Amino acid sequence: MRKVREGELAATRRDIYKRTTVGVYWRKLIFMGGLFALVFFGLTSVQYFKADTISNDLGSSGTGGNSDLSVKIVDMKINLNGTIYIDGKKSKDRVVPVGDVEEIRIPVIDNIDYYLKSVTINVELPKEIAYSVGHEQILMHSVGSPMTYRVVDKSHVVFVATDIAPMATITPVITMPKGTINPPLIVKILNYLQEFKGSVWVAVGVSLPTLSLIFMFFLLSFQMKRQRVVVPANELTAPPLALPPALVGALYHQNVRAREIAATLIDLALRKNIYIMDRERDFAFVKNRFDSRLLSFEKILLSKIFKDNIFSNREEIERRINNHLYSRKISLVSAGIYGLASRLGYFKVDPQKSHLKYWVVGVFGFFVGVAGFVVTLRLLPDPAYLSFFWLGMAASCIVIMIVARRIPIRTELGQQALGDWLAFRNFLSSSEKIPFSFSGQETFQKYLAYSIVLDCEVSWARRFSEHDFEVPQWYMTSESGMGLQEFCLSLYPIVSYVGRSMAAIREPGFK
Amino acid sequence: MELLKYIIDKIIYGGGVVFDLAKWLIVFFVFVLIINTFFISLFFVDGLSMEPNLHNKEAILWDKNAYHIQTPRRFDVVAVNAPSDPTKKKYVKRVIGLPGDFIEVKGGKVYLNSKQLDEEYLPEGLETPFDGSWNLTDDQYFVMGDNRPNSNDSRAFGPVERRFVLGKGIAIIFPRFRLIKDI
Repeated sequence: MRKVREGELAATRRDIYKRTTVGVYWRKLIFMGGLFALVFFGLTSVQYFKADTISNDLGSSGTGGNSDLSVKIVDMKINLNGTIYIDGKKSKDRVVPVGDVEEIRIPVIDNIDYYLKSVTINVELPKEIAYSVGHEQILMHSVGSPMTYRVVDKSHVVFVATDIAPMATITPVITMPKGTINPPLIVKILNYLQEFKGSVWVAVGVSLPTLSLIFMFFLLSFQMKRQRVVVPANELTAPPLALPPALVGALYHQNVRAREIAATLIDLALRKNIYIMDRERDFAFVKNRFDSRLLSFEKILLSKIFKDNIFSNREEIERRINNHLYSRKISLVSAGIYGLASRLGYFKVDPQKSHLKYWVVGVFGFFVGVAGFVVTLRLLPDPAYLSFFWLGMAASCIVIMIVARRIPIRTELGQQALGDWLAFRNFLSSSEKIPFSFSGQETFQKYLAYSIVLDCEVSWARRFSEHDFEVPQWYMTSESGMGLQEFCLSLYPIVSYVGRSMAAIREPGFK
Repeated sequence: MELLKYIIDKIIYGGGVVFDLAKWLIVFFVFVLIINTFFISLFFVDGLSMEPNLHNKEAILWDKNAYHIQTPRRFDVVAVNAPSDPTKKKYVKRVIGLPGDFIEVKGGKVYLNSKQLDEEYLPEGLETPFDGSWNLTDDQYFVMGDNRPNSNDSRAFGPVERRFVLGKGIAIIFPRFRLIKDI
């Protein structure tokens, strides 16, 4: 047989099954919406850097033919907490620490489009420090005379500029001794945190997920040690219990995934509830009979495949999957399988519920981390290295979600049962060829679904490579003379494709 | 109590759906933000003061880390915060004077430490108006636009402190790719 990687359900004979899942229109829509939002955010975050040009008014000093002369008085109040009020309105700018001083740098006049005869900026300082403040003025574009600076009293200073052109910018710069301002605690904390080097925050960002990984690894090791499943050396030549393959898969993987759905389809076919039709570049499922022994999750799965008719081809299945962003039916299929396994006493609690708590913590922490990251970038001046802390938090949460899925939650009974199934897996995956017998064909079909959920379908098929092969009755194909290899390369992609497509639309967070 | 449980279930369910749909988008978004914030970013030139070397609406890639390990060099094209309004305005200019330099503009020429500066990137015959002289401290840079008669730069707002120099231009990526070191 051609070498196919062990555990890889899908072979790649057909291009039509190469897609991981069928395209879900709603998903595409939302994805595109998200992409649109991303591009929008991206564009708005792109900065326009002025290669600014000088006003044509440069050099004209004042009236310049414009009769709209006026005098402007600006009252600037600097509060002790660092906030600044200009003409009674709170400014977005704050006093910022710069080296050994605290600085205010606010453009008071900026391109106001009309001439001013004079501008007087009255500054009320937060303390009586007028004689110890530093001052500077940035005057651009046609300010007629140098700005004057005057100390009025211990807590008031005044800047005055005259003959101001419409394009002018006037920015008084005041520097106060460090410690003048007593900002709110949160600002103090942020200022303190920002003083750390960028490398410290990068290290924090890397350490958080690393520590989470180490913690989760120890938790996982501890739980695995406590719930050690002894892998038996012996082989069981028959299933230890007559359980549905999907349930065995849930016990083995602690999860219901594509394999469990694919195995259920094959099991249903074996029990003659459905036929699988292989057609050139297409496939179809045909409903045979409604068996009263069908389990509830199997009924739901069938109702997802067949609506009112007995025939459902690829196009129809895809349409039925495409109709939903998520499928409640598939969620119910998973819940049904978990429910059965729990009722049999294989799990301490429903695995879905048990993993849900880690998942909820992970998702919540992830969103908080991302939000913190974005807010930090928005609020703090560049480069906001503090944002690496939030990134580390988000990454930690992803680590928690991924590792938590593997924490074993089987009961003692479950461990024992899994041990038996692993002994059966030893038989399925053995490298020894099965000697020819007339019942060999039947044996291959009977355990095929189990081999899929126990990740050894390729080894299982390989054990029969020397047998004559006859296509099963439940598998209808137009190809004649199909050998075992062709059969596997024809069947596996179909069930794998349907299984993956359906597993992908299970509702996240469904209880 | 029942209502609270119902609401919590809905939040968990909704959060799960959003997370499932958006996780890769968010990862991509965060990745782009990291690159944009800490490494390489994009800006569009808005104005004419760097003509004829940078044109209005050209998209420029700039390196935010360029000056973490080295200091700005003479003739580098840099992004700077406007000293008059550092939180809102950013300029793209060329570094002319380095800390400690004495810069003079007189008679249409630029003098560096009393020697005329050779500026190959300027169009032939272009003069630098607005005479003045500036002594740069050990933390100041003198920046000018290449379009000397029509540029708002250190001649207007004075020398720029090191903390206002944001990064170095790498390349023009739109509408035609060019490396900035070539201009």
